Amino acid sequence: MKKTFATVLTLAALTGTTALAHYGMIIPSDSMISQEDGRSVGLTLSFSHPFEGNGMVLDAPVSFSVTHEGETTDLMGDLADTEVMGQPAFMLDYPLERPGTYVFAMEPQPYWEPVEDSFIIHYTKTYVSAFGDDEGWDAELGLRTEIVPLSKPFGLWEGNVFQGVVMLDGAAVPRAEVEVEYYNEDMSATAPSDLMITQTIKADANGVFTYAAPSDGWWGFAALNTAPETMDYEGKDKAVELGAVIWVNFEEWTGE
Amino acid sequence: MRTLIIALAVIGWATASVAHQLIVFAFVEDGAVIVETKFSTGKIPISGEVRIFDAENTLLLTLPLEKDGTVRFPLDPDASTQGLSIEVETSEGHDNYWVLTPDDIERGTEN
Repeated sequence: MKKTFATVLTLAALTGTTALAHYGMIIPSDSMISQEDGRSVGLTLSFSHPFEGNGMVLDAPVSFSVTHEGETTDLMGDLADTEVMGQPAFMLDYPLERPGTYVFAMEPQPYWEPVEDSFIIHYTKTYVSAFGDDEGWDAELGLRTEIVPLSKPFGLWEGNVFQGVVMLDGAAVPRAEVEVEYYNEDMSATAPSDLMITQTIKADANGVFTYAAPSDGWWGFAALNTAPETMDYEGKDKAVELGAVIWVNFEEWTGE
Repeated sequence: MRTLIIALAVIGWATASVAHQLIVFAFVEDGAVIVETKFSTGKIPISGEVRIFDAENTLLLTLPLEKDGTVRFPLDPDASTQGLSIEVETSEGHDNYWVLTPDDIERGTEN
């Protein structure tokens, strides 16, 4: 019994970070671009444990696109290599030609996670408003799984709630589990318990979840579901975790 | 250009504090400047006044807003080398502005 317990502890120590939440990430230079900010937005695409600052390799995505005024444009050819948290990632500077909301979305390659004995596919997106126009802020892209915003996914004060509905294969997911994690970019946030690195909430019967962010900055919401199909890994069928990830920025409250 | 930036900063401060519900956007196409407006609700203002200033804050033109919330005027290359500032004030008193920078104008002229 002692040996088994020791083995478990050793395994946990070795794999502790990988057992925590993975997040596909799309972080823009700003979620609200004004005309004084210029005519483009910078974006970085990465894969990480964002609270702990542990980066992972992001292989070339299956797709990366922007949707504006109902039109989706492939941006795969515009990605350039970079590093985020010391790991390979991608970046681009995207020109904003007109006002409105631009939705950037990435489908990564399936990531094999040995600790969970499954593949992970996190469909990741973020919303950027250009030139004071928020039209399109609630756009549903029709991704296999996604969080459709019920709160405007930009222009939120710290302490505001963010609400979204979890969609999978075109239908809302009752009681969907949603993991929430802060992008601890400057590593200034500390967690008194591992339970507070990734917070977990559940959607209601209509697939709607609500979360109030305690501070400004970027917060990632990942709704996780298991796909009905499996994928092959070394001749064996393995489960596939489908993640609907959205990154939302909360602004610092400026009042007293 | 410096004068334009200072003037725009003053305009921006003034308009941002009193009228944030009108969205103004302008671009250059086929030798003309096209100005588009709408309210943040998505509705289109049906009347208003459009004032065009050069980089020295000199008023170049005053035009009525069309019923579809737009207005179009020929681009004067000589007057716009340092950019243009386009102010729109609707008949209800909402106002805002858009700055066509020299880069904006160059991009529009190239296309």
